[in-house]
Amino acid sequence: MPALANDDFGLHDDDVIMDEAVDKAIFRSTIMSSQDDADYGTLLRMFYQRFFPYKMYFNWLNYDTLPNKNFFNREFSFTLASDVYLRYNSFADAEEFRREIERLQPVKIDIGAIYTAKPKDKKQLRPQAFQPVEKELVFDIDMTDYDEIRTCCSGGAICLKCWEFMTIAVKVLDEALRQDFGFKHLLWVYSGRRGVHCWVSDETARKLSNDSRKAIVTYLEVVKGGAQASKKVRLNQLLHPSLSRALDVLKDYFPQLILEKQHVLAEPETWNKLLELISDQVIRQALDERWQADPTRSAQAKWKDIKQQLLASNYNEARAETVMREIIFQYTYPRLDDNVSVHINHLLKSPFCVHPKTNRVCVPIDPQTCDSFNPLEVPTLARLHQELNDYNSPYGSGKSLSDIEKTSLAPYIKIFDTFVNELLKEVRDQKRGKSYGVLK
Amino acid sequence: MFKQKPRANRFAEQTQRTLHGDAGQVRVHSAYPSRLNFYLVPPQYEITVDEFEEFALDRLHVLKALEGAQLRNKSREESKQQLDTVSDKYLPLHSNQAVKAHNVFEERRKDHISHFILRLAYCRSEELRSWFLRQECALFRHRYENESMAEKHAFLDDLQLDWKVLSNEEKKEIFEELVSASAWHASQYSGQNVGLKERAKAFVESEGFFEVNFERVPELVSRRLVYIRNGKAYVPMSEQVSLVLDEFRNRLSKALEVTAKMLPRMDEDERLMPVLNNINKQYLGKDYGAQTKGTAGAVTADEVDSLVAHFPPCMRHLHMSLRHDKHLRHGGRMQYGLFLKAIGLPIEEALVFWRRAFANMTEDQFQKGYAYNIRHNYGLEGKRADYKPYDCMRIITSNPPSTGDHHGCPFRHFSSQNLEEMLFRYGVPQTQIREFTNLVSEKHFNVACTRLFELTKKLQGADASALVRELITHPNQWFEASYKSSKAAEDPNAMQIS
Ligand code: SF4
Ligand SMILES: [Zn+2]
Repeated sequence: MPALANDDFGLHDDDVIMDEAVDKAIFRSTIMSSQDDADYGTLLRMFYQRFFPYKMYFNWLNYDTLPNKNFFNREFSFTLASDVYLRYNSFADAEEFRREIERLQPVKIDIGAIYTAKPKDKKQLRPQAFQPVEKELVFDIDMTDYDEIRTCCSGGAICLKCWEFMTIAVKVLDEALRQDFGFKHLLWVYSGRRGVHCWVSDETARKLSNDSRKAIVTYLEVVKGGAQASKKVRLNQLLHPSLSRALDVLKDYFPQLILEKQHVLAEPETWNKLLELISDQVIRQALDERWQADPTRSAQAKWKDIKQQLLASNYNEARAETVMREIIFQYTYPRLDDNVSVHINHLLKSPFCVHPKTNRVCVPIDPQTCDSFNPLEVPTLARLHQELNDYNSPYGSGKSLSDIEKTSLAPYIKIFDTFVNELLKEVRDQKRGKSYGVLK
Repeated sequence: MFKQKPRANRFAEQTQRTLHGDAGQVRVHSAYPSRLNFYLVPPQYEITVDEFEEFALDRLHVLKALEGAQLRNKSREESKQQLDTVSDKYLPLHSNQAVKAHNVFEERRKDHISHFILRLAYCRSEELRSWFLRQECALFRHRYENESMAEKHAFLDDLQLDWKVLSNEEKKEIFEELVSASAWHASQYSGQNVGLKERAKAFVESEGFFEVNFERVPELVSRRLVYIRNGKAYVPMSEQVSLVLDEFRNRLSKALEVTAKMLPRMDEDERLMPVLNNINKQYLGKDYGAQTKGTAGAVTADEVDSLVAHFPPCMRHLHMSLRHDKHLRHGGRMQYGLFLKAIGLPIEEALVFWRRAFANMTEDQFQKGYAYNIRHNYGLEGKRADYKPYDCMRIITSNPPSTGDHHGCPFRHFSSQNLEEMLFRYGVPQTQIREFTNLVSEKHFNVACTRLFELTKKLQGADASALVRELITHPNQWFEASYKSSKAAEDPNAMQIS
């Protein structure tokens, strides 16, 4: 099958843009930056010069330390400040990549697939000679998919209350991908604004066919159906092991998040929405009337009412429990954007981009400690700039450290380094294993 | 492979295993111990060119029937029945129980050879390969599911697939998880009065499990029907068909790619090349040529208008345009003229029909410019060939209409707006128009046409599915089905058309 057209990803086919336009765009951002010292353009330049972890980034996507096809056949695409979009870039090594980034100053970097040839040569190649062959298995979870259940914010906004949905998503998916599918190298990344990405980087994951990707995504998907469907989760009374494990996580969060923070049972409008998940009209009505009559009733008590009411009607324990579970899943189970995951040639925003609106760096998240991850504390460009200045001022402690270590970016870089080092170690072990194999 | 003269077996390089000796002499059971075949070894028989073509087309009949059944969403039972009928007719394949009554060796030989011929014909493009792969998998599945348990086991033993079977200890270790993952299988399991969990337990206890890489059973994984741990899926033996099919698909898909790569270097007999090149374009239905009598008996020029109700969309459109413009350009005259000939319009009437239709033309113009052509179509001029009416494939794929032309197939050549208007005039409800536009965007023009036929007949109160068992792939097939059904409705004693 030929590679899908760019349109399929909602991207413009701007790889035909002439160099002139690029140069103009760069020129423009230079002018803008000269007017105000600490504006986005200048800060971004500082970021690319002093903070972007080129070496480890290269080691990651190259899956080794010496350049190979993993890196030089990999597609990168750039969005420039002028909204010019450049697809099918590729680079020989980390140095070339760095030079181009520093020249273009992209406001966004997307990572695509590894192809059978160098993406920058695409125009000279026959379509059959240019096919995507490998890519990390990626996931994209975006807060906007939770708009129908969160009450605190909507659209692009997030707060600590709704961020917990992302925490749950990281925990549930991380466990499933590791335990069910046996993947080990998962990089979780804050998307810079209101979501998280996951890059499953195991060799087996990179080599998955589109069909297998699709199978995994469908397996992980529990919340189904568009805006028109109200009931989006249907469970079996006997819960699949993967879902039981997920339920353990969900139950930890549900009372706090849904009942307390999101106040879903506090107002008739939102409680009725929840009650819609019960198919029996009589039960819904009974609960609604009871809660209307008792405005001070606590959310916890109301939650218990639901099950009681089910049992008092014709539901047996197993059926009632299944309904309760369906509610919990619909309100807390991760919601995936499956398009991103299913197609090998789909592009996804790279880690360590800087979001142009929030100015926050797309930093890695450690799934072990994702509970304490606070998106509102992720370093912004201005903060990095400030921290660097503070450190270098006569009042700083004066120890000689790398720029990264002088700032609050350091712990995030450390997560990334650990992830990459584990990958490299595996590659080394494999090589060694192979050469030992000969001796045996 | 297909020897016309003795030469080296050109497939030998592609498979490691080759049969030695003259397989034709080997006893039935060692050449084909089962009627199921993974087609791992190319046939080594001498066959004639005629046999070559016949085998290929017969298998194609079966594959096309399979495709038709899938596309039209027939129920499992319906498709199975239809398939059995088509198989019996073109590619009978009896099981070992029937060794005495039938020449199973001949049947299996034909199955074997025809598969390899179509491999050659269908390996040449990604599109052809994937079509062939899909149909062959469906055919294999159909046969496998029809096979007895004992036959299945014998067949699998023979293949020596190395699927790891879970030992009792291993099963015990993950017993609880297997039970929890078996909700669906348990619900298929008898004993409705026991709880689901109890049934699942009973199911797991009595069932054996394979341990395979999860990628081998994407279907079962996506529906969460199996337990998965560490990338391994634990597949109940009753789901073996998924595994067998996966194995079949993988091997055939690889083999097709290998064949495609070898094809340029293979010098098959030059008499076979044209056959191979044309197989995938073959029209398999009735050709409505001179041997067949006009469907509606002898039709007169005057009667044509009253028969338009039985015309498929393409011909109806040509007729309307002819009436409106009092003219039709060459492509339209050919497509429509040959169609009319096949419904039973004899040459004399055809001359009258066209003469009247071209009302703005002088007699002289008509005689000089058109009469010859009409007689030519009827084999009365030139090389005196009997020209057959065009089938859909030809209308859809060759000679696309340009401005001023009205020939072609509305499903293929109309703009979506014109197509929707047409469907609307046929009385297709707004809610169903989408179904048609979807079919058309996926290039299933014949399916769309068949659906329209079924729909319009249903609107007229007829039992549509009895009228068209197969896809409509020829405009005259639409006419025939429609015309005969109306005759049958008029005359209650008339035979049911089957
Ligand atoms: S599918 Fe065939 S019969 Fe139907 S309109 Fe097209 S060409 Fe005519
Ligand atoms: Zn919020």
